[in-house]
Amino acid sequence: MLLANRLFGEPQPNSTEPTPQLEKLGAVAIAEAKKQGATYADIRIGRYRSQFSGYRLAPQRGSSVTDEVPFVTDQNSFGFGVRVIAKGQWGFAASPLVTAEEIARITREAVTVAKANAAAQATPVQLAPVKAYRDRWTSKFDKDPFAIPMDEKLELIHSATLSIKKDPKVFSAFGALGFQSEDKYFASSEGSSIQQYVVRVYPILNAVAVDFKNGISRTRNYTVEPQTAGWEAIAKANLGENAPRIRAEVLEHLAAPPVKPGKKDLVLLPSHLWLTIHESVGHSTELDRALGYEANYAGTSFLTTEKMGNFSFGSELINVFGDRTNDRGLSTVKYDDDGVLTTRFPIIEKGVFKHYQTIRDQAHLVGETESRGCCYADSWSSVPFQRMPNVWLAPGAATVTPDDLISGVDEGILIEGDGSFSIDQQRYNFQFGGDAFWEIKGGKKRGMLSRVAYQARTPDFWHACDGISGQSYWQQFGAPSDGKGEPGQSNAVSHGCSPSRFRQINVLLTD
Amino acid sequence: MFSQQQVKDIIDQVIGYSKLPGCQVDVQWTEDDFIRFARNGITTSGYRVTQQISITSTTGDKRTGNSGVSELTPEALRAGVKQAEDLALISHPNPEDMPALAAQTYPHLSNFDADTAAARGDVLIPQVQAVLAGAIKNKLVTAGFIQRSANAVGVGNKAGLFGYHTYTDSSLTHTMRNPEGTSSGWATQSSVMVKDLNGAEQAAVSIRKCLGGINRKKLDPGKYTVIMEPAAVADLIGWLGFAFGARDAEQGQSFLSKPGQDPNATATFLGEKMFPEIITLRSDPFHPKLASTPWGPSLLPNEKISWIEKGVVSNLFYDRFWASKAGKKPTPFPANLVLEGQSNSLDDLIASVDRGLLVTRLWYIRVVQPKTWQLTGLTRDGVFLIENGKITGPVTNFRWNQSPAEVLQRTTKLTQPMRVTNDETGSNMAPALITTDFNFTSVSDAV
Repeated sequence: MLLANRLFGEPQPNSTEPTPQLEKLGAVAIAEAKKQGATYADIRIGRYRSQFSGYRLAPQRGSSVTDEVPFVTDQNSFGFGVRVIAKGQWGFAASPLVTAEEIARITREAVTVAKANAAAQATPVQLAPVKAYRDRWTSKFDKDPFAIPMDEKLELIHSATLSIKKDPKVFSAFGALGFQSEDKYFASSEGSSIQQYVVRVYPILNAVAVDFKNGISRTRNYTVEPQTAGWEAIAKANLGENAPRIRAEVLEHLAAPPVKPGKKDLVLLPSHLWLTIHESVGHSTELDRALGYEANYAGTSFLTTEKMGNFSFGSELINVFGDRTNDRGLSTVKYDDDGVLTTRFPIIEKGVFKHYQTIRDQAHLVGETESRGCCYADSWSSVPFQRMPNVWLAPGAATVTPDDLISGVDEGILIEGDGSFSIDQQRYNFQFGGDAFWEIKGGKKRGMLSRVAYQARTPDFWHACDGISGQSYWQQFGAPSDGKGEPGQSNAVSHGCSPSRFRQINVLLTD
Repeated sequence: MFSQQQVKDIIDQVIGYSKLPGCQVDVQWTEDDFIRFARNGITTSGYRVTQQISITSTTGDKRTGNSGVSELTPEALRAGVKQAEDLALISHPNPEDMPALAAQTYPHLSNFDADTAAARGDVLIPQVQAVLAGAIKNKLVTAGFIQRSANAVGVGNKAGLFGYHTYTDSSLTHTMRNPEGTSSGWATQSSVMVKDLNGAEQAAVSIRKCLGGINRKKLDPGKYTVIMEPAAVADLIGWLGFAFGARDAEQGQSFLSKPGQDPNATATFLGEKMFPEIITLRSDPFHPKLASTPWGPSLLPNEKISWIEKGVVSNLFYDRFWASKAGKKPTPFPANLVLEGQSNSLDDLIASVDRGLLVTRLWYIRVVQPKTWQLTGLTRDGVFLIENGKITGPVTNFRWNQSPAEVLQRTTKLTQPMRVTNDETGSNMAPALITTDFNFTSVSDAV
């Protein structure tokens, strides 16, 4: 049996104790760090698995005959990282050799790094207090997706892509199933010993249509919720039933007239609005950005710290939560990578910005006494830092339906799915495309439009929101790989919302 | 660092476990040391070793499976082979799979520097301290990142192919902001030799940009003559390279496709003059400043190739499969790009513009329309108004919507290229250039 398998064992949803072998190895790092003079230490031993399979159906060169190209890959990574504070400074080191001797050696390296860097520290690291936990936790899933035979996966995606490509006017089809797991053990010098296992699923279907005569190419995706769940989420996605709809809609998109640019009302569905929430609310309310820690790469934030508690971010309808506890959220986990028990907390209340996303070493910088549990590292070899929790927009009144929103629009656009996205480094100016656009005229949904993008300034956009549908329309979508940090790291995060309406947004005609 | 013999042993061991006709092994080993700094002090930093073995197995009827492992014990490698073979056996035939390449003669690249491979805090911290000192002296606030890496890569297959290469790389990049948050400057350096990084020199650039960027004026969006500095050009040519695929071009999905053609006609602009005479864009893995490898993803020997030669589209990217169908020689992926320059300095460019904007760098570039390759993005860390050949003051940032092909089509003057490493487009050699009618669509209030 592989060392990683021996250490982590099988997922144990009912166990509350980490495996003894992991605890023994964790203790080596903690003891060695103390011996070397570190005032704090933690170790993460991690096994990461990523399985991706699917089909691409595309015509052969100079022919209408279709090639059906399958792909299957299963990547595994295993190792550990040690983080210490010595002389008031963080140090980190990591290695793929998970043995007691190597853990001790790498711990010494981490202490060396910290001590050397103390020469150029601005202020000593200060950690918000945390309780010590000894626990084992597994994310909710009914069926382990890795246990489902690969031929069943390939058959499902093959049949869905064949269905999309059934109409010869569809140029190409693509379908994939992604599964990711994180097996992680955390131990700290403050007494925590935590083992967690998380499984996430990412299905996708895509169709492309090309009008050769007029030189036009359009796409249509079936946007399935990526989520922390098991195989049951794939079954619920009904790929086979949705494939014919994608086939019909990509051709409708290809024939759709271009939008007339100008100020229009937008009704945005959850499969689209999640990304606008992510970029304009999720990233702007990260404390490390507001403080300047990300200034050189991901950027800062227009939400500078004096705005906390008083800045009018949006209309009174806007209530947004940071949450690493919600059902099926991609960022949901019981403890963060600081060993903090995760929570749900208000980010925006009735339109007013209330709280940042925080971690232990930054909470005190905005006068808070505990972390909000937003620490994450994407690998055993990555330094944990502040990453986004699931950030979701609360639903509106239960009586409000998407049809109510549409009926209140004289001239506007209904947008589904995500497309092109871009936002400035302080999260003010953004531009979003989408996957499908329908004209709204006289309070009714009409035919499809093409070449749509909209631009806005974050606070103006959220102030323009005058309608949010009720809880029964609330859905959660998300990003499997949100980038941030130097060296770059990737984070999976969900954003839930109900269909919402925004008045008089600047709509562009794209190429 | 993995030696050639260690890599060979790993590959031989994996191939020895393999039972299917095809087996390819890719080995990656990296040791890196990095320091992040912000708020005028070091924040996080680390030293790490990572390794990954990728195994691709293929059956006689072209079914393939791929696995990746990071453990190197015999049982882990054996398990990795079994996983790849099990996946291959379950998978379906891949009509686009190409036969394994036999032994290749790979070129020798000189991009390993022993001092860089050995550099730790004693080499990196002084450069950080120089940047911090510049910030403190000028009452500014800095954030940045310095890193160096030593890399060993290897590849082998059952058909007798074997390759091994070591290279180093390093970079220092930082942002300088005023405490009021009304101005931001930025600078970057990257090199296979860490001794080329110079914190003091780099800080002088970012400090000049930051101090010169205070009291920005708001200009209306619209079409402007723009001088793009090398960092901005490097991003644009990187994105342009992504659009040079022969498959998309021949199948009507690219700006290089000829419109109005029959779906099966495969007509492209290959061989036609789409750009001015001064535009030559090539891939040059042998460029001494670039941390490239002797082979690309196809495992064919890397080669120097032009994509645009004096304005003419001279090559498209043909992978092995598409090349076999087109009856062409495969070409490498458009990486390690060099946009050839002219003997002008940046000051010469500025002096030649009556009214325009100088752009330091671009940010958050995304494709708006895949067919036309229209991109959107923003300016960042310094936009300056040029009037009558002189910089007359800072202006706000803008969002832009424009194809990088159009930028080169409207280029009138260039400087000599320099290496720039960008997060999404890798390392390229780019000059500064003047382009006309660049399409700014709205103002960004971001600093």
